[in-house]
Amino acid sequence: MSAPDTYESATSGLRIKIVGIGGAGNNAADRLKLDDLASVHLVNLNTDKKTLSASPVSDKIMIGRGVTRGLSAGGEADVGRQAAEADREIILQTLRGVDLVFLLVGLGGGTGSGAAPIVAQCARDEGAVVITFATLPFSREGVRRMKQAEDALHLLRESCDAVITLPNDVLVQEIPDDATLLDAFSLADNWIKRGVLALWSMLFRDGLINVDFATLRQAFSARGGKTLFGLGFGEGPDYVASALRSLEMCPLLHLPENRYIRKADSLIVNILGGPDLTMARVNEIMDFVTDRFGSKDNTVLGAVIDGSMSSRVEITVIGTTMVESTNRRYHSVPAASNPEPNRRSAPAARSEASSTLHGRVESNPVSAAPEQPATHDTFTPSGPLSPHAIKQNEFDFPRIEDSRGHFDKTDPNLFEGVDLDVPTYLRRGIKIALH
Amino acid sequence: MSGNTVIGAIEIGTSKVVVLVGEIINGRHLHIIGLGQSTSMGVKKGEIVDLRAAADCTHAAILSAEKSAGAHIDGVYLATTGGHLEGFSNSGVVTVEDASNWVRKSDLQRAATNAKSKALPPGRVYIHHIKSGYLLDGRHIQHPLEMQGARLEANYWHVHGDERKVADHLHVINGFGLEVEDMVVASIASGCMVATEEEKQAGVLVVDIGCGTTDYVLYRQNRIIRTGVIPVGGDHFTNDLSLGLRVSYKHAESLKVRYGKAIVDRVERQDSVMLVGDLMIGDRPIPRSAIQKILHARSDELFVILKNKLGSLLSPQNLPGGVILTGGGSRLEAMDDLAETVLGVPVRQGRNPEWVNHEQLREPEFSGVLGLLYYGLSAQRQDERAPENARSGGWISKVTGIFK
Repeated sequence: MSAPDTYESATSGLRIKIVGIGGAGNNAADRLKLDDLASVHLVNLNTDKKTLSASPVSDKIMIGRGVTRGLSAGGEADVGRQAAEADREIILQTLRGVDLVFLLVGLGGGTGSGAAPIVAQCARDEGAVVITFATLPFSREGVRRMKQAEDALHLLRESCDAVITLPNDVLVQEIPDDATLLDAFSLADNWIKRGVLALWSMLFRDGLINVDFATLRQAFSARGGKTLFGLGFGEGPDYVASALRSLEMCPLLHLPENRYIRKADSLIVNILGGPDLTMARVNEIMDFVTDRFGSKDNTVLGAVIDGSMSSRVEITVIGTTMVESTNRRYHSVPAASNPEPNRRSAPAARSEASSTLHGRVESNPVSAAPEQPATHDTFTPSGPLSPHAIKQNEFDFPRIEDSRGHFDKTDPNLFEGVDLDVPTYLRRGIKIALH
Repeated sequence: MSGNTVIGAIEIGTSKVVVLVGEIINGRHLHIIGLGQSTSMGVKKGEIVDLRAAADCTHAAILSAEKSAGAHIDGVYLATTGGHLEGFSNSGVVTVEDASNWVRKSDLQRAATNAKSKALPPGRVYIHHIKSGYLLDGRHIQHPLEMQGARLEANYWHVHGDERKVADHLHVINGFGLEVEDMVVASIASGCMVATEEEKQAGVLVVDIGCGTTDYVLYRQNRIIRTGVIPVGGDHFTNDLSLGLRVSYKHAESLKVRYGKAIVDRVERQDSVMLVGDLMIGDRPIPRSAIQKILHARSDELFVILKNKLGSLLSPQNLPGGVILTGGGSRLEAMDDLAETVLGVPVRQGRNPEWVNHEQLREPEFSGVLGLLYYGLSAQRQDERAPENARSGGWISKVTGIFK
């Protein structure tokens, strides 16, 4: 825990914005609107005029008027990106002076996949902590959408402090058989809501143990890594044990790529309980969680009391991991809350890289980098892991997110565009009942 | 070649390394004299991902096999598999030289050279050229020598693999100071064990579901028509279970072995089984239907892929011998029933031949390594018959004509 004076200055006047991008993101933001969180501003951003006008969120940004003329991006990430590029100024303005930005986005479509990485970049440039909740499409929606989502995710991981992925394939396991199509496509909203609420209450609500923004920022300082996110809820006489069981079974902790992470580099645990929550119970939870995910040294704990939560408890775990050492070409970013030092301490290899990039960009101006070519001779990457720095590499090293659980370090098992290493039941959307 | 030779058959599998030592007496009789096994490390989906770990466990298995045999291995026959293996069919066409159109030996040789002359992309290397028959003036002929015709076409099925991955396999054996006599595609090795001569003549498909990969080989008229690898095996079944049931990999493996079934059973729908079964804390009931659903989805997909890969070759007309399942994965309950439903061809479980006396070696997961030994025996015999061919250019240039 940091000193009280930091706490004061960090929490008072803390500005938080929640930005819903694209159709799915807008829906998630709309749903949060109903909760009416104090000192949180909701913003909806879309290329589609119709969706925007239907939204109850008051702050709306229409992007890419010149590109799409108010129609949607039509599932093309390129169009979404162009739209966001065209209105970069407006996006920057909206995010000016904001401390914490939540991006809510459904990847796979046009606006979400295309615009979200750019919004994340803008937010980061404005110095905000960026936490993204990204829904991944159902495998059944097709190879193309999946590919588009993966590419966008890759870009998002580079500019966000935390990216929490919510694969629809996995979430669909959690809903009852009689769920409607609408339910299926808004699956992620509930998870997003619980995640945002947990972080929000950690910062703003009174509790046994409060977490201040500086601590939060510190915990999220490693960019480009993976984010663990898990929720557990328990009630009844032995509500702690039942919450821990539910946390252990949380589907988001059993994604192929992160279930083998036994140790998070930094961990945020929030406990939302009733007035009857005792310190002993909190300790019990902490013992379990730190044992499961990492050591006590780098864990941030928040405990919040809600009058309506007696004999119930909700546990939220958010952990970040550094870029793994197997990804040789990435210089893992030194942990520092301020992104500035990273720019200056860019490794010497950068200058070498920039010369390669020089030739590459000139011969093949990538549409993704419209404003980069101007900075050739004094190549200063805009962040620790600029997407352009990655493009220059000739070798096909695995991407950051290419940790594949049990089948790590093997070639992707592609057959007609689908990865056979991913469980069949997930790809086919078969629901497995565990009770 | 006279006297006795000791050969080793080595399969560096995804779950375990098996070394079988055989003694060939006077180039005619084969005695299995030693067996060594070790748990495999550093192998995923049939490919070596950690050379040092794979080498260590292979060397341990070789040592234990040599110890149990009480003899040193002279030469090694090595099985290979993995998603990098690919095959294509290419034929060599020649005009028969003889004035009166008698096919001579030189014609056959020219046709063979023609068929094998296709250059591979860089980084690829041939593993087998398998003769799948001749066409003489458009007629299918088994032995065209001394027959009459104008246009001779030799059909070959060529198997090739990634140079580095093949080299990795060889390095493991060479690192122990042993010579690799020949490298054999795993599907061919197990195929020649479980299919009978009659079945191979009629047309049969052998599917070896291993831990890391599923290998298949299709025979017709006693020749190999097609081979292939699907990089999906028992590991995928376990991984799916572990993710779907949210249990550890170890528990998933045990559930698969104890309660696994490839079809969803109506009767057992409401049943559940205990995860560990010792009443310890953390033990919980797991519905049988969940286990079955996950395994069914995976095995169903596996057979659908197989069906797509073989296309029209896979039909009851083309496969009177049906489909034979072997390998550890085939032990999953109801796997044969599911295969029959999906493939639409009669399916039976493979059995290793009667001459294998050892109880343990009769298990389906040993067909590959037994096949390798058998291959070794045939290769030694051939060396005897045609000494001019012996070890002419290492294993790469060898042709698996002995498999017909």
